[in-house]
Amino acid sequence: MHELGILSAMVKTIEKIAETEKLEKIEKIVLEVGELSGVVPSYLESCYPAAVYKTFMENTKLELKIVPGIAHCNECQEEFNAVECDLKCPKCGSQNLTALSGRDLLIKEIAGY
Amino acid sequence: MKELKVLEIKQNIFDDNNKEADKLRLSLKERKVFLLNLMSSPGSGKTTTLTRTIEKLKDSLRIGVMEADIDSDVDAKKIAELGVESIQLHTGGMCHLDADMTRQGLEGIGTNNLDLIVLENVGNLVCPAEFDTGAVKNAMILSVPEGHDKPLKYPLMFSICDVVLINKIDVMPYFDFDMEACKKYILQRNPNAVIIPISAKTGEGIERWTAWLKDQVNIWKS
Repeated sequence: MHELGILSAMVKTIEKIAETEKLEKIEKIVLEVGELSGVVPSYLESCYPAAVYKTFMENTKLELKIVPGIAHCNECQEEFNAVECDLKCPKCGSQNLTALSGRDLLIKEIAGY
Repeated sequence: MKELKVLEIKQNIFDDNNKEADKLRLSLKERKVFLLNLMSSPGSGKTTTLTRTIEKLKDSLRIGVMEADIDSDVDAKKIAELGVESIQLHTGGMCHLDADMTRQGLEGIGTNNLDLIVLENVGNLVCPAEFDTGAVKNAMILSVPEGHDKPLKYPLMFSICDVVLINKIDVMPYFDFDMEACKKYILQRNPNAVIIPISAKTGEGIERWTAWLKDQVNIWKS
């Protein structure tokens, strides 16, 4: 389960942030999920409780914000949504693309006390 | 009652692991030890390629191998028979290794008397690509039967690899494998990738691969 490992990595990153920011209790986190990041948002949601089980993040809420995967065609310079176009330029059919957005998985916001 | 704080973070999810990986690389540089992260799908010929590599380099470099697997020690036993240091790391069900597990592995094998340590990652093209292990270079093996369109299916893996070995070229006549298309797809994902076609079975291309690896080790140690 790909998403479980990713969330476990996230818990470690948030642990460090909470320490620096002196947060004792976390209520909610907001993640930015790029469409080209390779993770499936609904899987993130379904394995979240397992990933935070018995950690300091147990019983926290998860909110996801999806970032569209926009690509640039290196052949004809067209810009388009890479996921909708199945990773192929809709204008010239090239697969020689550069991702402009949507590759990242970011912790956007942490709410806590 | 304390007030609810909302922090704008914008930090990568893998931030903690990435920092650990950087720390590990720095300490490897100080110790003059080169760590290679070797990745591939299951069955692409990782252990056979590694065996060939060790046979070629064991007289000029002191080599250690860390075999990562979800369970079992089949591969570690095979490698130990070649007379190099080897340990088995169990990921406990996880599909990848992270920098912390790699650091523990290095403590287990001990880096004092080694020039090159190969980390044989879990056979998987998805998760290991996300987690920086702290290795100096990333290598992956793609084998002919898997098809030339693999770089299109696993773009992240190909974009993080310094070198791609295309293995099992001895069976090319039996598959519809388009070598030129495969190279093109890899370079689209990663223009700096070094691509070396090999056959771990016949030994073809192994010379070029081991020469590349030896160069990298020497550059790192100098």
